[in-house]
Amino acid sequence: MKLNGSEIIAECLLEQGVDTVFGYPGGAVLNIYDALYKYSDRITHVLSAHEQGAAHAADGYARTTGKCGVVIATSGPGATNLITGIATAYMDSIPMVAITGNVTNDLLARDSFQEVDICGISLPVTKHNFIVKNVKDLANVIRKAFRIAMSGRKGPVLIDIPKDVTGAVYEFEPMKPEPVVNPVFSELKDFVDAAAIISASERPMIYMGGGVVSSGAEKELLAFAEKLDCPVATSVMGLGGFPASHRLFMGTIGMHGGYETGKATDNCDLIITVGARFSDRVAGDRNKFGKDAKIIQLDIDRAEINKNVKIDAYLLGDLKDTLSTLTDSIEKTEHTEWNAQLSEWAKKGTVTETPKSENYAHPYHIIEAVRALTKDSDIIVTDVGQHQMWVSQKYRFEEPRTWCTSGGLGTMGYGLGASVGAATAHPDRTVVLFTGDGSFHMNLNELATVCSYDLPIKIIVLNNTVLGMVRQWQKLFYGRRFSQTDPHRKTDFVKLAEAFGVKGMRINNDDDAEEVLKEAFSDRKAVVIDCRISPDENVLPMIPPGKTVDEMITEME
Amino acid sequence: MENKQIIGLFVHNHPGVLLRVTSLISRRGFNIDSLTVSPAGVEGYSRMTIRINGDDDQVDQFVNQIMKIVDVKKAEVIPEKNSVASELILIKVSTVGNNNNDILAVTSKYHASLMNIGEKSMTFRADGSPDEIDTLVSELDAFGILEMARTGIAALENGDKTLNK
Repeated sequence: MKLNGSEIIAECLLEQGVDTVFGYPGGAVLNIYDALYKYSDRITHVLSAHEQGAAHAADGYARTTGKCGVVIATSGPGATNLITGIATAYMDSIPMVAITGNVTNDLLARDSFQEVDICGISLPVTKHNFIVKNVKDLANVIRKAFRIAMSGRKGPVLIDIPKDVTGAVYEFEPMKPEPVVNPVFSELKDFVDAAAIISASERPMIYMGGGVVSSGAEKELLAFAEKLDCPVATSVMGLGGFPASHRLFMGTIGMHGGYETGKATDNCDLIITVGARFSDRVAGDRNKFGKDAKIIQLDIDRAEINKNVKIDAYLLGDLKDTLSTLTDSIEKTEHTEWNAQLSEWAKKGTVTETPKSENYAHPYHIIEAVRALTKDSDIIVTDVGQHQMWVSQKYRFEEPRTWCTSGGLGTMGYGLGASVGAATAHPDRTVVLFTGDGSFHMNLNELATVCSYDLPIKIIVLNNTVLGMVRQWQKLFYGRRFSQTDPHRKTDFVKLAEAFGVKGMRINNDDDAEEVLKEAFSDRKAVVIDCRISPDENVLPMIPPGKTVDEMITEME
Repeated sequence: MENKQIIGLFVHNHPGVLLRVTSLISRRGFNIDSLTVSPAGVEGYSRMTIRINGDDDQVDQFVNQIMKIVDVKKAEVIPEKNSVASELILIKVSTVGNNNNDILAVTSKYHASLMNIGEKSMTFRADGSPDEIDTLVSELDAFGILEMARTGIAALENGDKTLNK
């Protein structure tokens, strides 16, 4: 059948099973939006307040569904506004297809109005990108883009389409997408070798990451850990990939991880790394990370092997496959003594909480009170900073894909957009956004979107009136010179919420918390809760950058 | 310790593929001293030859990162000792204050051809391994090099093995 380029885009999206896209219209995508109008019964378009919000929404949609997120923006500023969202997805290996319009072919390379070389700009933050200059290539490029985004180590792909291409008519032949199959690259011998290292170990630990969630290998990991009786530490990205209530779960590892996971890393004789990449926030000193341990790494990306930390053995392929084969290759073992030792450390590592105050609520208290009101399947989104770390430490995640946070890029302003994506994907679940006053100020414009679509997002602003994480570093490493971390803002978040058409509430101290939260969670409406916390609350424990658990800070002031 | 290795790339001849490769080299901080691109002799593909400074781990990481570029079909280390590796140089040497025969004595050792004679210079063309070219350059330096252009290295592994099979 003969279709124009924009209809071909819509048909290709449907082919890929896409029923929801996020975006913002503009001159260069007028044709595409005309087709979206025509296809509105089959493709829901969620309009953001800013293209960055749309990109984060596509990301939140992808993280909570496992599907590929789709975002559409116009040329020039529309396209550049996506970049932070695309880079966020890239760093966390989140599948996304970003479609940008561009000026017509005959205006390209002439510095035309709203023209930008978005392929050049997005090159380092995409798995791949395309500019489609001829409508005959369009359908296959879109199919290829989805394939690239969803295969191997997932990630964002950008397709830039000049306006004349979206209007040109061409013959369209529907095609069923081939299922993505990731081969196992390792040979049987590699599994035998890895199993031998594992069976020689007396004190093994698992260090898991976002790859477990990305490949949907939670069950395989659980079976492996249980058969080996092996404690599990996770990167911030891996939260939800292993049930927090499980006896083998230790919590997060790294800069703000527990004392127990730090001690485990230093005292174990084997680290089995599953879908994680030894980032500097985990392996602060990469030369000393697991210095007395052998390291086995399971990953889908060959380039992660020996990138930051030297590996003794590795297994390459989809974690679902490599984990289950490895589980079959090992004997059932018990590590009673080792696990008992870890429990000892866990007790020792408990951080003493700041005393109760009339003027402030304690973030841990708020997080625990929220946890009491949420189901395991409810979705928790954060922004970036202290609140993010507190949530990663305290919130007990039981299920995969219930956790959205910008782990790699650390994007302040990520949360509200991502919540929009998560809430759009899961109208049946509660979506909670924990944010800080700093992060929230960055992209709170998306409250307009929350209101337009009546998305029941519970927004908890842990408001300490300062840029707490940077301030904490200034306390520790810059002689308490609080340069530009106290903005003296007078924003009234309750009134602000109301101005956008969203309910606003306030928590002044711990005594308020339960009651306010209970009311906030009692209906299916959006709410912004301004939760006053102390500007001097710190994230502890903390391993200073470049250091190991031996130099862990457990007290400040 | 300086360690140079040659990597052969077999890539889709798409617009932007050179940018993708060079952008990766730059952002991952790899240190290269030569990069050449040419048709690969297979329709739709190009061949790149890159000489990189780095130890085995760095080269391994380089190959693994390069392989993630969608347009890169294959990337392999071409062991320099077991390959034909060659580059071409054009070099303009000053004749002012020099005896032309002295210059020609050097260039003939390297089978460099005299391509052009100017009022104050002679221009030669030579090819050879990067080491040979380096030595030629250092010997001619004594006479005064006015200008030179090197093509960068091209390399094929010895024997019947090919990158584009």
